[in-house]
Amino acid sequence: MTTLIPTEQELHAYVDDRLTATRRAEVESWLAANPQQAQRIDAWRSDARRLRTALAGLHELPATAPLDLSRLDRQLRHRRRRRFASAAVLVLALGLGGFAGWQAKEATLQVDVLPMADALQAHRLFADTPALDIRASAPAALQAWLGRHFSRVGELPDLAAYGFEPVGARLLSNEQGPAALLVFEDGGGQRVSLFLRSPGERFERMPSGERTEGALQARYWSHGAYNFALVGAADDARGERLREVLGVSL
Amino acid sequence: MHDLDEQQWRELLQRLRRFALWLSREPGGADDLVQATVERALTRRDQQRDAEGLRPWLFAILYRLFLDGKRRERLHARWLSWFGHAPDEATGNETESIILAQADLEAFARLPDEQRALLLLVSVEGLSYREVSQALDIPMGTVMSRLSRARAAFRVLAEGKPAPPALRRLK
Repeated sequence: MTTLIPTEQELHAYVDDRLTATRRAEVESWLAANPQQAQRIDAWRSDARRLRTALAGLHELPATAPLDLSRLDRQLRHRRRRRFASAAVLVLALGLGGFAGWQAKEATLQVDVLPMADALQAHRLFADTPALDIRASAPAALQAWLGRHFSRVGELPDLAAYGFEPVGARLLSNEQGPAALLVFEDGGGQRVSLFLRSPGERFERMPSGERTEGALQARYWSHGAYNFALVGAADDARGERLREVLGVSL
Repeated sequence: MHDLDEQQWRELLQRLRRFALWLSREPGGADDLVQATVERALTRRDQQRDAEGLRPWLFAILYRLFLDGKRRERLHARWLSWFGHAPDEATGNETESIILAQADLEAFARLPDEQRALLLLVSVEGLSYREVSQALDIPMGTVMSRLSRARAAFRVLAEGKPAPPALRRLK
């Protein structure tokens, strides 16, 4: 008896009972003539059966309260309403942020339409405070928060070659969405910070640029899913170089 | 989803939990995954297909959420190490307690995520290849080649760890 030699795909389909009756019979007779292959297929099948058996006990799973659809529905509607309400809350500062959070709220209320003005504000408020909350405070909360809001950041920047070491970070959120301020310091105590957040409505496709405000300079750009701003002293000659490095590494 | 009677709904939930449990290998995480899946399904119910498509659709949502979660974990580990923290010990394999009773499953638990997901859907849930391709959001050809790799890998692991006698009797 001659049958077309079954492909690897067909052999899997045979194990999973996904062949037509005719083809199935053909494969069966081919296997009968090819004991070595038959052995291999048998092993797959017995693996699958063992797996099914071992996992069959639907009811042996640890019990939890079953999800009640209509209750979930109500909860979701409620949560949506609350989200609208909380749009009024401009700033959520995690960790030690009680008072600083309040200050930041005041600050963000004054946000004008200049690109990344909030980055400068954040740098002023937080870059020099010891109240950076990423290091010791609450890794679990941080994980949840970061994960929710910054899941698409690429490799984090390494500025050690330019003398800057990471100091910490501050998590913020304003009406344009969540944001993070990452603070770096060089050997001389000079600090720069990198601000990142999802594009808001106002600056969805933000052009790259730079702006000086008082003693501070912000260089900003968009890349991937986020807007970035590098904020540092306006008279720091390394700013441009750092900006280039970050533009490449982020 | 609202068309299912209570019995069907309960069973569907259990299936989702089983999938979630063996993907995440953490009972707590599995329940969260299922809850998040159902919530997302409710907010997107306009995409809901016919009753037949419901199961693969829910598996698809759950799988996507699981992958998102993994990505977040990796990101978090990067952040922590970036700030000088040693990353947490690889999250302990909490299924150990479940597996103790079923030592044979240990081999399965050691397969990579994508292979576990595939074998669960094909061998345990009995989804068609097309449904699996939808649920995992990969082309048919990838389903087949991944299935081939998964079966081979499972074979190797299972052979290194012969099934305990108690389980053999079940065959």
